[in-house]
Amino acid sequence: MHPLFATPDGTGPPWRAALGSAVIRGRKFLVFLLLNILPFYLLSELLSASGALAYISGFLAPVMGLWGLPPEAATVLVAGMLVNLYAAAAVAAPLALSWQQVSVLGFILGISHSLLMEAVVVRQLTPRYQGLTLLRVVLGLGAGWLLALMIC
Amino acid sequence: MLGKLVGMLPGAMGGGLILCAEIAAVVLPLIIGYEMAKAYGVFERPWPRLRPLLAWLGLGPGALVPLLAGVFLGLLYGAGVLVSASREQGLAAGERLALAVFLVTCHAVVEDTAIFVLLGGSAFWILVPRLVLALGLTAWLARRGRRRMQT
Repeated sequence: MHPLFATPDGTGPPWRAALGSAVIRGRKFLVFLLLNILPFYLLSELLSASGALAYISGFLAPVMGLWGLPPEAATVLVAGMLVNLYAAAAVAAPLALSWQQVSVLGFILGISHSLLMEAVVVRQLTPRYQGLTLLRVVLGLGAGWLLALMIC
Repeated sequence: MLGKLVGMLPGAMGGGLILCAEIAAVVLPLIIGYEMAKAYGVFERPWPRLRPLLAWLGLGPGALVPLLAGVFLGLLYGAGVLVSASREQGLAAGERLALAVFLVTCHAVVEDTAIFVLLGGSAFWILVPRLVLALGLTAWLARRGRRRMQT
């Protein structure tokens, strides 16, 4: 019989068990998503509507310009690096960013995100996890600068 | 001022929920796909054709399973496969470092890219430079390691 339909131990075909664990994972993911997106989305809207974002980002304008990003995008970088990419997306969504700016953010944060959580996993692989975490930040921002020069 | 901020809450809530729904529509099928691939042992297949590529990166054949788990599942979701496989396969310290360097630069490629594509980013510019960086950095590390062993 084809392995797709094989039931050697009577537990049913592998896809059924896989679907079962996908449902469990999926449900957990939905809860995680709501808990991560909603607070950061609200926070981002509140910060920009209250004018607090404009105030803080005034200081950052020259720095963020390096990546072709508006100063408000600093909050996206902070949310992505310290929390996770979903929080970063929630913060970025209300800002009106061009496709180039979203790509630069996606690239920087793709390399350098969830730094604290993921350092725990990296530590299981190598004792040099601190250096590697620093490498992610430097590499993300450095290569992001080059990408911004290319596409912005 | 406060009234204005409270007044915008429902709209912001709606915007947040729409974003949640969009991400869920992309990631939930991915989760089903990952679980199916795992159940049919895709991440445990040896794929001998990839051996030269692995060697170029300073990795032995035993590093393939944790590498695939990290690249497709991500560090957190794939942590179980990643850590247990790298232990079972008895990877040397240098190999583990090479694996970690590659994976911190480039992991969860489908999901991470999809999030920013949803916001309007370019999949090419988000993914390809990241992949090139991870390959280049790991290969450079491997070459440097070999040179050190010779001297």
